[in-house]
Amino acid sequence: MTSLAKLPKTHGNGFFEVRMESIGGLGANVAGKIFAEAGVLGMGFNGVTFSSYGAEKKGTAVKTFARFCDPRQEIRIAAPVEYPHLLVIFHDRLLQTGKAVTHGVTHDTTVVVNSRHPLDQVREQVGLCGGGLGVVDAIGIAVEEKSRPNTVLLGAMTRASGFMDPEAVRKAIAGTLGHKYPKMLEGNLRAFDRGYREMQLEEYACSIKHPKEPPPRFVSPLGYENAPIGGAVVNPGNTILRDLTPSRTGYIPQFFPEDCINDGHCEYTCPDFCFTWESGVDRKGKKGMVNKGIDYRYCKGCLRCVEACPTTALRTVIEDEEYVREHTVPLLGREE
Amino acid sequence: MNIDMTGICSLGSAAQNMDFKSGNEMASLAARQINYHLMGFYPITPSTEIAENIDEMYAQGLCETRLIPAEGEHSAAGICYGASTAGGRVLNATSAQGLLYALEQLPVQSGTRFPMVMNIVTRAINGPLNIRGDHSDLMFMLNTGWIILLARNQQAVYDMNIMALRIGEHEKVRLPVAVAYDGFFTSHQKRRVEYFISEADVRAFIGPYREMQSSVKPEQPVTIGPYMNDPDLINNKYQLHLAMEAAREVIPEVFAEFAVLSGRQYPLVDSYMTEDAESGLFALNSAAEIAKDAADSLRRERSAVGVVSPNVLRPFPAAEVQAAVGNLKSLVIAERADSYGGNGGCMTFEVKAALHDLPGNSTRCVTRIYGLGGRDFYTDDAENLLRLAINAAGGKATSGKAGSEVGDGIKAFDYYGVTPGDRNWSLEPVTRPIPAEKTRQALIKIEQDPETGRLSVRTSSVRAMTALPKRIAPGHGACPGCGIFPNLNQFFKGIEGEVVVLFQTGCGMVVTTAYPESSHRVTYIHNLFQNGAATLSGVVEMYRERQRRGEIPADRQLTFVMVSGDGGMDIGMGSALGAALRDHGMIIVEYDNQGYMNTGNQLSYTVPLGTKTTTSGVGPVEKGKSFHHKDTAQIMAATNIKYVATSVEGLSIDMVKKAAKAQWYANRGHLAYIKLLSACPLSWRSKEQLGTEVMRAAVDCNFFPIYEVEQGITTINYDPESRKRRVPLSDWLGMMPRSRHLTGPDYREQYDDLEAEIERRWQRLKAQAENERL
Repeated sequence: MTSLAKLPKTHGNGFFEVRMESIGGLGANVAGKIFAEAGVLGMGFNGVTFSSYGAEKKGTAVKTFARFCDPRQEIRIAAPVEYPHLLVIFHDRLLQTGKAVTHGVTHDTTVVVNSRHPLDQVREQVGLCGGGLGVVDAIGIAVEEKSRPNTVLLGAMTRASGFMDPEAVRKAIAGTLGHKYPKMLEGNLRAFDRGYREMQLEEYACSIKHPKEPPPRFVSPLGYENAPIGGAVVNPGNTILRDLTPSRTGYIPQFFPEDCINDGHCEYTCPDFCFTWESGVDRKGKKGMVNKGIDYRYCKGCLRCVEACPTTALRTVIEDEEYVREHTVPLLGREE
Repeated sequence: MNIDMTGICSLGSAAQNMDFKSGNEMASLAARQINYHLMGFYPITPSTEIAENIDEMYAQGLCETRLIPAEGEHSAAGICYGASTAGGRVLNATSAQGLLYALEQLPVQSGTRFPMVMNIVTRAINGPLNIRGDHSDLMFMLNTGWIILLARNQQAVYDMNIMALRIGEHEKVRLPVAVAYDGFFTSHQKRRVEYFISEADVRAFIGPYREMQSSVKPEQPVTIGPYMNDPDLINNKYQLHLAMEAAREVIPEVFAEFAVLSGRQYPLVDSYMTEDAESGLFALNSAAEIAKDAADSLRRERSAVGVVSPNVLRPFPAAEVQAAVGNLKSLVIAERADSYGGNGGCMTFEVKAALHDLPGNSTRCVTRIYGLGGRDFYTDDAENLLRLAINAAGGKATSGKAGSEVGDGIKAFDYYGVTPGDRNWSLEPVTRPIPAEKTRQALIKIEQDPETGRLSVRTSSVRAMTALPKRIAPGHGACPGCGIFPNLNQFFKGIEGEVVVLFQTGCGMVVTTAYPESSHRVTYIHNLFQNGAATLSGVVEMYRERQRRGEIPADRQLTFVMVSGDGGMDIGMGSALGAALRDHGMIIVEYDNQGYMNTGNQLSYTVPLGTKTTTSGVGPVEKGKSFHHKDTAQIMAATNIKYVATSVEGLSIDMVKKAAKAQWYANRGHLAYIKLLSACPLSWRSKEQLGTEVMRAAVDCNFFPIYEVEQGITTINYDPESRKRRVPLSDWLGMMPRSRHLTGPDYREQYDDLEAEIERRWQRLKAQAENERL
């Protein structure tokens, strides 16, 4: 019999708590299951894991949670984790969305971020004063190892947790992925090891005391006093104000107007209505509808348009934030 | 695990294993060990996983339970009823709308006394649509004559599922049993659980099935469900009442016997620290568990509080409730469902009634409706409610009427956790309505042939039609590469003028209308899957009637379009056929994405034979979907409506023409139906960028022929053979990992069968196109 490992820190309620901030499709839900299973079945803690759920779809924000405690403690709580000891951000783009991904971070928190950027830059993005910060290029490693990014992050989280046994996690990965995708197992285990090893992890001391204010729970701007009765949306079409940039996971179509023949196929195949067309004169001097370019705020990077384009006017490139900023052709205002 | 778990594992007489599983997984595990004969089901979140898990176990040969995928919950309940009369063990699982749609069947099951088990994974009921957990569905169960067991956590889901069968089949009871647990909180959260290692222990506990009457025993004919008039029905119901009373005795016996086996005790009412408490909280299921943590922390402040929650809802354990709360000074009854206008949810009425019957009782009851639509319930919320109970211990509650606060001001009835909203929040329009003239740019010309009466359409180029405004705004939340929106975009280019749309439940609806946002720039209505066509026909006829009365200008032309998909033409087929037979002036557009994708890729009837979905697995025993794809277009054509057509994204001009024709008929008072095949890269696991190419292969292999039936005359608009584009079926199947297995040698039989069926339908279609009489 092995003796039970110790949790490095817990809240007053006895829990070591984990929160993962992700985008549907990056595999946070599965990572949570693997991580918690390793802690419970592999290491003997009591534990729980779950995700925030909506309809089945890719590209939307999702939160995954895990809690660990002494095996003798009963778990009754079913509510989300508000003060994580370990916060894992599955894509650094989530830091830019203004959504509350870092809420509840204290000096006790270690934040792990999937990012290509250096530690200091990520620290600034997170707005981290004190506490731990780990940075790992999960997508880069995943591409190299032909794995999912979530196994890289599992490696990073395992090390950052300060208590999780990497062997227990490897075993849980083998149990979950080995069953579903046996061919991908080896790459995923390599990715796990690399995430564990290659994460840059730093502990920051800070003189400013993090105020332990309750993290804001989401309150809808529409309530019983101002919401139109019956749940009606009286200003429909308002999704045009959204920015779907975070739902992209790496590639975008790049538009070369000089190669464009304005045939319209991109416009017809685009599920997200990103193309801006105007009445005008094309390069040959003919009057007609002219493709002005892409509003990247709505583009999810599916690349259907690249496939549909009969010329080379649309090409697949790795997303570059600056390029996107400079080349977005806004639809808003033209739609009316 | 090599950790010493002494004192952690339950000590029962049967050997158990520890695992880490969700509530739905535990329900499925219990079902596997019981080895039900049959499960009739229809997928609905969050209960769907149960059928999915059982299907997966069936495919692998781990259980023998026959899964029957109904076309709706009403039918699922019918399948279960029929199966239970035929003398075997039957399981169902549902939630929310599914339960309500099945509701009519449930008293049939109990009134004719055929036991079965149904898991109710509790969820908010529509509308507006919400898929998360509350108890508004469960409360509709109270009067159905079913026994209702509550499972407060994942372990209880397993335990109650095993005990439920035993209770329901007891000779003194013979009633159907529901096991209810919290959607998502319990159904999806994974926790440490225990289960019996040996199925034999489970089977020994439940015992053999004892049949009383059987619909399949001709040597002993029996009339099941006679027409029973007033002298008799009351006696039948009294028998049902007596069975419930018998269950009051049987349930504790079964619970006690199970405790010996498992080491886990279930009292009828779970009382936590109530012995010396002055104030308490009454709640159901997962919230009651959270409240225990809150009670612990208030106890540390020396507050005398406790938590009470029943494990059985029917029969209602009134005596045990009296014993648990009768001595409290105050009790907050927290309810995850309101009985609107009753100033209490159903639990309030039942707890108060129980206390009323307790002589001299003076417990002050205060009700708070909380957590509707799955709103999270934190420990501090439970603390707040317990503190409310403490405050209420001093005085009498006021009535729930607004403005009637007296004394300590604590209302007997209120909501907990509602928010007023931000007064500065703008509800100003973000986009302007689309001017009708913008949709009429003389890009489409439609003419009726004076001889045949049929229509011909000429359109401008694809390029020119990029000038047409989109009725759906960007910013919707569909998955990358979704085929619904290219289809709808191309379809709506063919529709001129002002439009009203109705979307049935499905991906197209969910991703465009996440409150408080909506992508629809034209007026939009949602109704549930099974009733969109009827609903829109009501809109159409009201519009016409108001025009007739002069309330709306007679020359104002609106085009009404219903959009369905995600298998909505399975559960909604009856409604669509009804609307078609009545021939209302509207268009039904079906985006057929080949599965119930908004709930996670369960089979719809249009899925081809042999395809792997989450409810038609592949493995040593199961070979994917077991029956051929539904031909919705031909079914609709058989209603003899004026216009039926199929099209697909990529054939843009074809689709625009068909949309224009459909509009022409709809605006002349006739129903038109158009079916569009629609890519779902998420569930087909095809490449996101290849949507149009996958569609093209489906057309070129003749799985999805492009044709129209106008005034009964069939025309094939795109013939892969004459265009020399015909490809083998394997080309299409191979593009989608979910059906790629069909191209391999192990599935030769299914492949050949599917290919032959496609060819048979193609030849028939060609014959129809060649002969006007067909």
